[in-house]
Amino acid sequence: MLEKKFGAGPWFAVLLMVGACSALYEDQIKKFDWRAENVGKLQQSVVDLNHFQPRILLSTEEGVVASVNVKTGELVWRQVLEQKPRGAIKLLQVSGFSDESSDTAAAPIGSNLGFDMLTVQGHAPALVRGWNSNLGAIEWEWSTMPLNTERAQEALWFYSHSVLYHVVPTWRSHLEVTAYFASSGHSTGSSSKVIASWITAESCLLSGSYYVCVDGKQLISIDLASKSGQVIRTALESQPFGKLTALAGLNGVVIANGKLISVNKDQSVCNSLQSSSYAVGSFNYRKIVVYADLASNNLKINAMYLDNCSPVVELEQNVPFPEHFGTPQLNSFDCMHRKNGDGKGCLFLFSTSAESIVAVQQGRIRWSREESLANVIDSLFVDLPLADSEGTLESEMKGKAGDFTSFDRDIASAFLRRITTQAVQIRSLFLHVIGLGPPPTATQRAGLVRDSFGLHKMLVLLTQAGKIFGVDNISGKHHWQLYLPNVNGFDNAENMRLIVQRSAKHFPLQPLCTILAKDADNGYGVLYRFNPITGLASEGGLLHLDYKIKQLSLLKETEKDFVRGVLLLDASNEVHVYPPHATPLADGLYLYTADVKTAELSGYFVKYAGGKLSSTQIWNARLGGHNSEQQIIGVAAKNPIEHVHSQGRVLGDRSVLYKYINPNLVAFVTQAPDATHKSLLNLYLVDVVSGSVIFTMTHRKVRAPLSIVHSENWLAYSYFNEKVRRTEITTIELYEGKTQANSSVWSSLQAPPMPLVERQSYIIPTLVEVLRETITERGITNKHVLIGTASGSIVEMPWHLLDPRRPIASTTQGREEGAIPYIPELPLPTESHINYNQTVARLRNIYTAPSGLESTCLVVATGLDLFVTRVAPSKTFDLLKEDFDYILISIVLVALTSGSLIVKHLASRKLLKQAWK
Amino acid sequence: MSTKQSSKKFKWALDFNTSKNGDMTSPLGYNPAALVNQTDAAGRDQRLVIKKSWDLALGPLKNIPMNLFIMYMSGNSISIFPIMMVGMMLIRPIKAMFTTQVTSKMAEGAQGTGQRIVYFLGNLANVALALYKCHSMGLLPTHASDWLAFVEPQTRLEHYGGGVSFI
Repeated sequence: MLEKKFGAGPWFAVLLMVGACSALYEDQIKKFDWRAENVGKLQQSVVDLNHFQPRILLSTEEGVVASVNVKTGELVWRQVLEQKPRGAIKLLQVSGFSDESSDTAAAPIGSNLGFDMLTVQGHAPALVRGWNSNLGAIEWEWSTMPLNTERAQEALWFYSHSVLYHVVPTWRSHLEVTAYFASSGHSTGSSSKVIASWITAESCLLSGSYYVCVDGKQLISIDLASKSGQVIRTALESQPFGKLTALAGLNGVVIANGKLISVNKDQSVCNSLQSSSYAVGSFNYRKIVVYADLASNNLKINAMYLDNCSPVVELEQNVPFPEHFGTPQLNSFDCMHRKNGDGKGCLFLFSTSAESIVAVQQGRIRWSREESLANVIDSLFVDLPLADSEGTLESEMKGKAGDFTSFDRDIASAFLRRITTQAVQIRSLFLHVIGLGPPPTATQRAGLVRDSFGLHKMLVLLTQAGKIFGVDNISGKHHWQLYLPNVNGFDNAENMRLIVQRSAKHFPLQPLCTILAKDADNGYGVLYRFNPITGLASEGGLLHLDYKIKQLSLLKETEKDFVRGVLLLDASNEVHVYPPHATPLADGLYLYTADVKTAELSGYFVKYAGGKLSSTQIWNARLGGHNSEQQIIGVAAKNPIEHVHSQGRVLGDRSVLYKYINPNLVAFVTQAPDATHKSLLNLYLVDVVSGSVIFTMTHRKVRAPLSIVHSENWLAYSYFNEKVRRTEITTIELYEGKTQANSSVWSSLQAPPMPLVERQSYIIPTLVEVLRETITERGITNKHVLIGTASGSIVEMPWHLLDPRRPIASTTQGREEGAIPYIPELPLPTESHINYNQTVARLRNIYTAPSGLESTCLVVATGLDLFVTRVAPSKTFDLLKEDFDYILISIVLVALTSGSLIVKHLASRKLLKQAWK
Repeated sequence: MSTKQSSKKFKWALDFNTSKNGDMTSPLGYNPAALVNQTDAAGRDQRLVIKKSWDLALGPLKNIPMNLFIMYMSGNSISIFPIMMVGMMLIRPIKAMFTTQVTSKMAEGAQGTGQRIVYFLGNLANVALALYKCHSMGLLPTHASDWLAFVEPQTRLEHYGGGVSFI
């Protein structure tokens, strides 16, 4: 990952004086935001260290083709191709690469005979594209549509002597091989069918032009490029465990059990080698095979000449390899041709299990890219720790907040404490000035100290690969990274969870975060506790549970150590709490689980009695419909940290329409195919404590993609309308009425009144990927909805545009209420794109968090790219404008004060004179 | 100055020492007989004072029609001039009420208490009028919506957790 520094040091002071407006000014670009560009997990790469233009070309699992700077690892260019499966890259072929199968020279300008770089992607149709690898521009493209699209999913491609071969296997039957001229797409006319009854999906692979299958203790292979189609059998020493892998660069060489095996008679290999990863290249004009292994955090790189199997001493190196990269896999390498041939010009490119790309040169890590950030699945903003002096003040304030009476009684001692604190502060300041103060802690040195507005936070990012990052939300610097090997997300496409067990508010106790995941081996739950500021494990770190996690919930803070316990429901509906001393707090908690496939909801009640926790199922709801076809495609609960400041809405006649703010309300959306309406979408609002369905609504001829956001008393969701073929957003608001049934207490069990429902639908002229509401500390600031679009922009939509109470006819009442007359189309003005031209490729999710300022909300958008910014929905009403003229106002103040003093003096003198007349 | 006096002595000097008895001579032009109707004149003055003070006491009441007219003319829109007028209408009688003591000092008499009450009531009527105007302009917090900001959020009794099943 590249570190992007935009606003450090002196900029920070300026940053705080920000007066955000609805759009950015030109000079504010990249001032409060930064974007990190990623490419995704490395699939195939080509390192080319020629003298005139060294380059690294790579393709990734995310369907991205990119070129990377050899020296820094920065992107030279990047092309984000179509989404999977259409954009899945099957082959990356670079001409001029030291591979005997490629004999095409770089394309002459203006001709379409050769190519520079070629990619094959997708299966139906398969797209073949020729690229200009210097610019990243497509030069030509051709496609082929297979006859059988289903079988074509397994299709393989290889390139040999200007011809692209398309291999479609039919398992346990035959292979269909079609050859095309690579740059034109014309068939060579030699489409052949190779009968091979032994082929299965698990045991076969393509190595160069050889199709190799394992059959017990032997390899059966066919050279697909040759006309003869002769079957070659190669005996193995032992049956390979795991899958075979091909060795790129050598035709017909596979790796089985960490050993090289050649099925090609013309290709000899060094059979004695044993390693976890290999790569082939050339060194001093001789072909070599390089192999790398990780041993106790040390990466050993060795090489061997292929012709005589003697070791290449120049390339032997030991590289200290940090644990957070995971297990490395040598992807490719290249050596610069030097006169002395000392091997110092060799660059080795590794992809690791933590989805990093690591470049090693001269025995050290030259650069690394954190590509796991292309799949962020959860994010958190954590407050930074206080400076020590502020910490003591904080503890004083806490005593006040905790216990009013004792504070009042003890006013003298409180005063004394304040005086001593301030004396200590002055002393430490003095010591600091003369240079005798205590050395700053590691976090302070890194600049990780809370600012007065709480805008500077630690952004904790959890990625799909199990890597966790601590990122500075202002500079984008990676302060720490952690890797949890061998963990997975949960079933039902539920991701790992990142939760805060103790916030940074409890000085001097350190904050505590926890990751909940599934063990990759046995499917049991895994808990990992760590300090989000330092990235170090705390409370014992990794904890393997001996049961599967079904659901979880956070409990209230304990009084002893301010930890919020995690309650876990296991597969047999038993309840567990971590840490165990928080167990009593779980008493009286309600839990619900939703089964997405059957659309069945279950509610549980947790009881603590006699030192034991137990759960009882108290309700059950089936949303599956009469023929149980409905499946849950969306669940939306409110943000648990949300505060609702205004309890009602002022109407035109100045009466109040009270909001129906049910904290236990969860929205469920189900979808099912329908005979008459193609597809049905149902929305259910369920009180998950009592299990009562508060409201339901059905949309006909409507289907996913669905995005949903639920906050305060409203709900907004987007879907695709099949009838008119457009994306629409429906909004719902719930009101209690002109009176509140119970103004002090909300209880779902005491049958609260049914809400009045306002609803409206809007057309949005874009594809919605994600919806998210802004959130602020006290909820005073207006709520805006952030709409992430498929094109990668984030639009800030004020709620009053989505308001379901927008009147159809322009009535005075509606106008006095402040509602805009209803217009079905929602405007998407360019000023409201909060990421202006910083497009977030493959935008997947947006996370919001309150800052210390009421007006400002912190935003992070994740996808292939990462975009961090802040928004101020009601403008920065609690901040002075950035261009506030301090000098002018101080001059005016001083002038007026001194003027009035002078005038006063003059006036008294005049009065005295007049009296003497 | 004394030299001036002494120089003027000769012309206009009136020597009081010539009189033998201790009584002072009446000033020039003073006729003791003019004192006959003295009691009668005092009664008339008193009536005048009472009349004047009733005028004072009824003043606020007499203002009401004028205020009503101004109110009608200024309309219910909230802008600087109607606000200023309403402000004046409200502040003036309140100020006057606070200074009732001082005002009534000038007119102390038999009907003092009545006048004071009338004066006070008149001012009160003016205040009421101004408040009515404020109300019709929507400046008084008389609606539920005006107290909405102070409505506390409901405390929740139940807490929940959960979501889509992980199994």
